[in-house]
Amino acid sequence: MDAVLEIDLPNRCAVVQPGLINLWLTTAVSDRGYFFAPDPSSQMVSSIGGNVSTNAGGPHCLKYGVTTNHVLGLEMVTGAGELVRIGGKAAERPGYDLTGTVVGSEGTFGLVTAITVRLLHTPEAVKTALATFASMTEASEAVSEIIASGIVPAALEMLDAAIISAINASIGKIYPDAADAVLLIELDGPRAEVEAQAERVATICRRHGAVSVTVAADEMERALLWKGRKEAAGAVGRLTSSYLLQDAVVPRSKLPQIMREMKAIAARHRVVIANVFHAGDGNLHPLICYDDRSAEELERAKQANEELLGACIALGGSVTGEHGVGLDKAKNLPLQYGEADLNFMFRLRRVFDPAGLMNPDKLLPSHPACGEGFRPKRPVLPAGAWI
Amino acid sequence: MAAVTPDIDDLRLCVHCGICLPQCPTYRVLGEEMDSPRGRLYLMRAAAEGRLGFTETFARHLDLCLGCRACETACPAGVPFGSLLEATRSQLAERGPRPRAALLCRLLRGMFTEPRRLGVMLGGLRLYQRSGLRHLVRATRVLALAPRLAAMEALLPDVPSAPALPELIPAQGRRRLGRAGLLTGCIQRHLFPDVNRDTARLLSLAGYDVVVPRDQGCCGALELHAGFLDDFRDRARSLIATFPVDLDVIVVNAAGCGLAMKEYGRWMPGEAVVAAFAEKIRDVTEVLVDAELPLGPLDLTATYHDACHLAHGQRIRAEPRRLLGRIPDLRLVPLTESDLCCGSAGVYNLLEPEVADRLLSMKIDRIAETGAAAVVTGNPGCLLQIAKGCQERGLGIEVVHPVTLLARATRRAVK
Amino acid sequence: MAVSAASVAGVFAERLGPERLVVDPGALSAAAIDGHTPRWLVRPASIDHVAAVLAVAWDENLAVVPRGAGTALGLGPPPSRVDVLLDLTALDHVLEDNPDDLTVSVEAGITAGGLAERLAGRRQWLPVDPPGWRRRTLGGMTATNAAGPLRARYGTLRDLVLGVRFVQADGVVTWGGARVVKSVTGYDIPKLMVGALGTLGVVCELTLRLHPMPDAEQTWLATFTSVEAAQAFVARVVDSSLQPTRLELLNEAALRVCHAPSAPFGVAVAIGSAHPAVREQGERLAALGSSEGVRIAAVGDNVWTHYDTALAPAEGEVVLRIGSLPSRLADTVKVIERALPAAERAALITGCAALGTLRVAITGADPDTVRRLVEDLRALTGEFGGAVVIESAPTAVRTGLDPWGPVEPATLNLMRAIKQEFDSRGVLNPGRFVGGL
Repeated sequence: MDAVLEIDLPNRCAVVQPGLINLWLTTAVSDRGYFFAPDPSSQMVSSIGGNVSTNAGGPHCLKYGVTTNHVLGLEMVTGAGELVRIGGKAAERPGYDLTGTVVGSEGTFGLVTAITVRLLHTPEAVKTALATFASMTEASEAVSEIIASGIVPAALEMLDAAIISAINASIGKIYPDAADAVLLIELDGPRAEVEAQAERVATICRRHGAVSVTVAADEMERALLWKGRKEAAGAVGRLTSSYLLQDAVVPRSKLPQIMREMKAIAARHRVVIANVFHAGDGNLHPLICYDDRSAEELERAKQANEELLGACIALGGSVTGEHGVGLDKAKNLPLQYGEADLNFMFRLRRVFDPAGLMNPDKLLPSHPACGEGFRPKRPVLPAGAWI
Repeated sequence: MAAVTPDIDDLRLCVHCGICLPQCPTYRVLGEEMDSPRGRLYLMRAAAEGRLGFTETFARHLDLCLGCRACETACPAGVPFGSLLEATRSQLAERGPRPRAALLCRLLRGMFTEPRRLGVMLGGLRLYQRSGLRHLVRATRVLALAPRLAAMEALLPDVPSAPALPELIPAQGRRRLGRAGLLTGCIQRHLFPDVNRDTARLLSLAGYDVVVPRDQGCCGALELHAGFLDDFRDRARSLIATFPVDLDVIVVNAAGCGLAMKEYGRWMPGEAVVAAFAEKIRDVTEVLVDAELPLGPLDLTATYHDACHLAHGQRIRAEPRRLLGRIPDLRLVPLTESDLCCGSAGVYNLLEPEVADRLLSMKIDRIAETGAAAVVTGNPGCLLQIAKGCQERGLGIEVVHPVTLLARATRRAVK
Repeated sequence: MAVSAASVAGVFAERLGPERLVVDPGALSAAAIDGHTPRWLVRPASIDHVAAVLAVAWDENLAVVPRGAGTALGLGPPPSRVDVLLDLTALDHVLEDNPDDLTVSVEAGITAGGLAERLAGRRQWLPVDPPGWRRRTLGGMTATNAAGPLRARYGTLRDLVLGVRFVQADGVVTWGGARVVKSVTGYDIPKLMVGALGTLGVVCELTLRLHPMPDAEQTWLATFTSVEAAQAFVARVVDSSLQPTRLELLNEAALRVCHAPSAPFGVAVAIGSAHPAVREQGERLAALGSSEGVRIAAVGDNVWTHYDTALAPAEGEVVLRIGSLPSRLADTVKVIERALPAAERAALITGCAALGTLRVAITGADPDTVRRLVEDLRALTGEFGGAVVIESAPTAVRTGLDPWGPVEPATLNLMRAIKQEFDSRGVLNPGRFVGGL
């Protein structure tokens, strides 16, 4: 099911089947000046159905929003076996926003069979800059100030030394080898706006100790900078055979702090943590490296992972920003949600999938006591107050 | 002892990122994880670690791989998929099940890789073509009963007779760039003798003394791909022996042969003669790309298909395009997904005609879109396969090797 | 166990304090909704208060109608029952403000104007501007997913609400979403609550994503003699590299109340960006206009002030929200013009042309005319899956005509099942949502 069913440019939308690869949709409309905004790093591999299921993000969701902001409607078969059409091309529709509810439900509500998505007009100008820093902390401070200054870059990505070396080994010397951290900053929009913002971004980076700020000279250079970023997770194969990839989010003003904590956690558990992430929205992707042949090393990696996650939540963050919960992170949901919150989600799931057929065990944790029954607390009313 | 164990450290390079999937032709066609590079690596690792036996299912998923190496181009971690596949196939050849495909493969090997035997066969073929028997066979559709034979029959072009090249063709003009050996190959020699002739001519025009060893045999690539490593090594060593050691380069005009020869060292480690030979291997476009050639105009719109073992295997993409770009009046138009396999893949189109045909159909769709009058590609397998596809679609598109166009241009040059 | 009205009042007074409970018949009848006078009016000052009220209501099967500024009480059919009117305007605090993260957490009773004042000093805003937005509460705007011209660039609250704390029908305090700008942990509960008209829970706290205010914003007005020409121009703008913050269609009457130049139709294009970019895009827009033979002139920013004032909800008027398509704008407007007799041509037609959403405000139309108009529009929008919702209208108009319009049966069943799961007793806003939920 990988067909583009309809492209409706006058209404800036398209209807696709779930198996369509994300990038292919943009390819199908790019010559007419449009694109599909959600661009997970896996966009050359991942399907739009999968993107819908996880509510995928990507580097450019900093400015453009995540998948759910670009999904107008769905056709799906619920876990109860009902074919339903929800949402659609028209922006105003009565009733609950089932489209918004289903996006990100990780297949636990049913199978999505068709998706109506919003297409955007390609921006007039794009500028991609590479700022090199001597430390992650300085780079993080630059990120925080860029955001606080009111600039919304199309993308604002950070890569640390370990990742830089892996990518350079993979694709050739794209990023400065000696850098401790680089920021990949993309600005897009009307030319004059991009120019004005680029100046300000460069100034902020230099103020925070950027060793250099360079701008991609042409489309080839720009594509190469992005190729490095998008293939980073694969290139890590050159560093380690296995890694735990985390997806936690912190408020972006807390980046410098979490970077310091991460360093301490890595040292404490004697693991290498490589970092390549969406700094602009505080969405971390620490890759905790371990040797898959050593059970002991895996154990240390797991401990580092849990500790780091705890630190992110303590700063007001989220367990997962764009990858989804799946099987692995279900156990972490109680970090972020209470019994009542989880109970609400369980019941919502039951409405769509009464028999529990769809992706069982995913997204929601099973309750230690009775498998399902998170017990919400009702307010205690004074007994006999009104008899 | 033929089989080689795939390198476990190479297998562990894969971190399952999946970037290879959409680049993999069989995944594109079949949509199964097990028929993707990531899935195959997973299986290979499981087998290498003894968690999976050499079962028929396992063999089937590896059989379906074209060996095109598009995944190597895609892989950010640098997994050497091709050699892992070949090593695993060598284990399968020894220990695995022997389905029909493998038997047929044996048969084909005997035929394709023995240039002289192929010559005899092709003699018979010429008779077949001229006698009208071909029309009868095609008309009665008896071949539909045996898809593999049908696949083979459909591929065969009208075969010209092929007088052998002289053993030495001296450089023309005053320039002397060195001595170049020329691999004449099996299929190339018999089905595309003009490509060898044109290669030799262009090399001599460029300033090379061209040496064409008369007794040269097959490079062994097909056996390597099938996992018959002993046979492969035998062929490689005898081929090496037929080439003089004082050559500056050894020129190959078939992408598949060139790649296998460049990688000889991997399969015969520690053999200095082998390493020295392999180091000299060049694709014809690498040698000619900066050579001075008298090129006249060709008023032609052409598009270029990347042969897998050139683009993915040898990372040669720019050279042929630059060469074609040098021909005056020739308009080179881009081909979408030019580096997606056409389905030929050695003898794959004979063994797996269904997958091959679907890939071919995708390729022909793309070619038709370009509006080009000629498709240029540097591998005999691709030439056969794409020509068959164009013919079946009724597209009047010429399918040629780059040297063919270059040679044609030199003939148009003002003296 | 059923208890007496006096006992319920007693519990409310005991839990919330007597000053937060109104039982005075005069005050209650002034708060009547479509003729239904509430039995109690409570003004909770905390989410725990709300929880206590709902727990009682759940146990006693009372119907609860949440109310913010009261602007949108005319949305939906008249309620089937009103027992408790839950006035949330005392929940008006900013709970957590993170300027550097561009997020803010507020209580639902805060007005959009109140929040805007707080943010103005730092050039950040919550870009949601349904007419009369300053005095509307964020809770009310969330429940109705109200939007204005800025949705062309920024979307609606659906795109801006990151987290919600709400009280379920049975009094359970529940949290969904996150406090950071990006999160996919668990289901996207905020989406379910936005636009749900409080039928699944009473939203008491919101965590919101803010945007930086553009350095400058300038508005141009393109005028047209026909709506077809206006639609064609909008298509050209959308298909260009211009990035308007607002792209609003206005008919003659709407132009008039906005004190804009007179014309049968106008398209107001606002560009918000850095100063040089505003200038440059203005030139680009002018060039586009002259190449198409369209008259374009800069207008003062007060056009939006007038828009906001003149279109703010008014007593007795009929307002329709139409989900059309950008490619069907002209067809939609024609249907409206055809259905309204000359005397009622003063209908104000506005809408986000970039998205194809229209708003029609009619004063003094008789119920039959409105019914015909709505039916005609539904026939048209039915062709492409659009919708027509009566946003407000006198009670008489909304009785006998479904203000929400049809929802596909399978989809409605799903909505009904959700409502049944979370409010099986029909405590929250009973009878006011789609399909009588």
